[in-house]
Amino acid sequence: MKRKLIAILCMVTMSAALFAGCGGGNSEEGQDSTQGEATALDGESVIVTMPTTSEPEAGFDPAYGWGAGEHVHEPLIQSTLTTTTKDLKIDKDLATDYSVSEDGLTWTVAIRDDVKFTDGEPLTAEDVAFTYNNCVENSSVNDFTMLKEAVAVDDATVEFHMNTPFSIWPYTMATVGIVPEHAYDENYGQNPIGSGRYIMKQWDKGQQVIFEANPDYYGDEVKIKKLTVLFMEEDAALAAAMAGQVDVAHTAASLAEQEIDGYSLLQVSSVDNRGINLPTTMPVEKDGMVYGNQVTSDIAIRRAMNIGIDREEMIENVLNGYGTPAYSVCDKLPWYSDEAEVAYDLEGAKKILDDAGWVEGDDGIRQKDGAKAEFTLMFNPDDSVRQSLAEDFANQCKALGIAVTTEGAGWDVAYDKAQSQPLVWGWGAHTPMEVYNIYHSLPDTGSAEYSPYANETVDTYMDEALQADDLDTSYELWQKAQWDGTTGITQEGDIPWIWFCNVDHLYYVRDGLQVAEQKIHPHGHGWSIVNNVDQWSWGE
Amino acid sequence: MNQRKKTLVIFVGAVLFLVVVTVAGVFCYDAARVTDFSRKNLSPCGQYLFGTDWMGRDMLTRTLTGLSMSILIGMCAASISAIIAFVLGVMAAVLGNKVDSVISFLIDMIMGIPHILLLILISYALGKGFKGVMLGVALTHWPSLARVIRGEVLQLKNSQYIQVAYRLGHSKMKVAMKHMVPHLLPQFIVGLILTFPHAILHEASITFLGFGLSAEQPAIGIILSESMKYLITGKWWLAVLPGIMLVLTVVLFDVAGGSLRKILDPSSAHN
Repeated sequence: MKRKLIAILCMVTMSAALFAGCGGGNSEEGQDSTQGEATALDGESVIVTMPTTSEPEAGFDPAYGWGAGEHVHEPLIQSTLTTTTKDLKIDKDLATDYSVSEDGLTWTVAIRDDVKFTDGEPLTAEDVAFTYNNCVENSSVNDFTMLKEAVAVDDATVEFHMNTPFSIWPYTMATVGIVPEHAYDENYGQNPIGSGRYIMKQWDKGQQVIFEANPDYYGDEVKIKKLTVLFMEEDAALAAAMAGQVDVAHTAASLAEQEIDGYSLLQVSSVDNRGINLPTTMPVEKDGMVYGNQVTSDIAIRRAMNIGIDREEMIENVLNGYGTPAYSVCDKLPWYSDEAEVAYDLEGAKKILDDAGWVEGDDGIRQKDGAKAEFTLMFNPDDSVRQSLAEDFANQCKALGIAVTTEGAGWDVAYDKAQSQPLVWGWGAHTPMEVYNIYHSLPDTGSAEYSPYANETVDTYMDEALQADDLDTSYELWQKAQWDGTTGITQEGDIPWIWFCNVDHLYYVRDGLQVAEQKIHPHGHGWSIVNNVDQWSWGE
Repeated sequence: MNQRKKTLVIFVGAVLFLVVVTVAGVFCYDAARVTDFSRKNLSPCGQYLFGTDWMGRDMLTRTLTGLSMSILIGMCAASISAIIAFVLGVMAAVLGNKVDSVISFLIDMIMGIPHILLLILISYALGKGFKGVMLGVALTHWPSLARVIRGEVLQLKNSQYIQVAYRLGHSKMKVAMKHMVPHLLPQFIVGLILTFPHAILHEASITFLGFGLSAEQPAIGIILSESMKYLITGKWWLAVLPGIMLVLTVVLFDVAGGSLRKILDPSSAHN
């Protein structure tokens, strides 16, 4: 009897504690939402969420990936020499003029002389030269092997001496934030000083970064005075938006069906593509690793899959319609060749396979010379979109008579395995170098870096593009590398990669906040959205 | 019906349920991997009792397959573990003081490290996947049973009939096999069955944490970790139903082990 009494007492206390806990949570939430509204009302600050992976591990130092690297964006704290425009052409920021010598080996850039770092020191050509030389020596994320050295000719002129001609140098200049020579040390990434639109005020690692407008900024007036970036996963961002704690919350297609009062969904088109590599060579073992894949080395298989998959259906199934079909790694960018576009044609795909001698067996899977048309497609297990794409691709391949099995593979093993098995990748950058990195063969292996492939003509076009005199000529050459009328990397060419879709970047935006028009977002769902945060505004 | 019969019925019922789940899961394996985007995100209904997930996979077949995989891995691993425990326990007690202190030290050391930590280390070192989980669970779950068996053997050694057997000139090995092992068997079997729920839960946990089975496998840990992302949008069925099934399975193993002990325990034979 006594025991029961104690048990009942315990239960009562516990449930009381539980209710008290809930009550506390509610009142806290109430406070927070008023805080959120306060930010909305003062009209000068925004709170934006980003994935936890967007937090720069090495700090806000351009030499170690801030603004550059895999996920390109404007560095906000620092100024760059050039910038990219909405259609991904080149505009000027610090630079007032730039030119390249006839042999392509010297770039001369004139810079503004009225720019000051936020500590009051003027920004000179010395700082620019220092920044680039520092990158050449230390950059762990960007390739600076084409640059020999940067030299300050006078206070307002810099010369870049190149090892090899590099026509797309303006795109590199658009990603490197200029750091002050006098205030640069190994801790720069933690307390960055720049001349850009914002000053980093506070960084709580693992949680948030707070930026405040630079009052002495030389460009257009910075309208949003305070930017707070919170790092959290998509589900937490959704919860934060539901509680009214943030102004812009990043989200994914699978969560975007949720409607939140006071927020609307912003859909930003991107070149954040997803595609798979198809090793084009027969399997060979080298140093304990297999290079090549028997099935995908048959061009008929690659061509049939490229036109035999319905990209629209894939986007509807996996992305709930929030995406666009992708035909190359650089859709919609100035160096994209629209020859890459193909129409969905299931019957045509089947015909290609029939003609190539792939005959359907009893189990519905095609065979040729005793080999079955089957392979394993890998995906990153932490990414539900890539997993769904892999599954949907496998389902669609069944109709073609190709058996695709899916397998989760973490990044620790995926790069090596991708040399012999297709993998779902995500790419998309604001520079044509990406086309080069994916399709150009490496000198020491004679094969492309991420998946076995080599085509001399394609290589030559890309080499020529890098040596071109001006950007417009180089765009044409990049396009020819994709398809020149006889060979290339498109359907009629070698088709060593198949591209599925460009994933739209989705955000919940608080009503009343006008997010300025975005340029096509590159790969990475993070900093791109705040590229032009200074031009956002609050209104009715 | 007396107490003993009731216990027997409970035992048989629990085992039957577990067998059905295991067998059903094995047959569902292919169905559990089928994705069909035309039926995605359905809440539980007549056709899909456990609903479907964001790729249109049937959660009932996935749950059954996941459970059966967990049960099979758990049983294999627990059996290996129990055999290790048995051999080491008997060795410790029979082979003299030096061996005993080495084995006791081993037992204390393994018990001193948190299970889950050691599991993750072993599984990761072996490249995760089936092999990693299996060996991880097998190599971490033996110490407590080994200790029980060692204690039991030490007690037996001093009992009269063992002493008599020694005096009659039987070898150590013969005494151990002929006189001790039969005596230990009930403890061993009960211990084995009571290790199952641990093994199953630990398999599910390290898979949940991403150090176990691969993401394309319909394992219960994968199902639960995937569901976490969708809870915020109100898709409760992705986590709740498989979670309840996992708890049910583990509890039933515990019940089965408990009833078996009651049945085998001589002191309760007349209840």
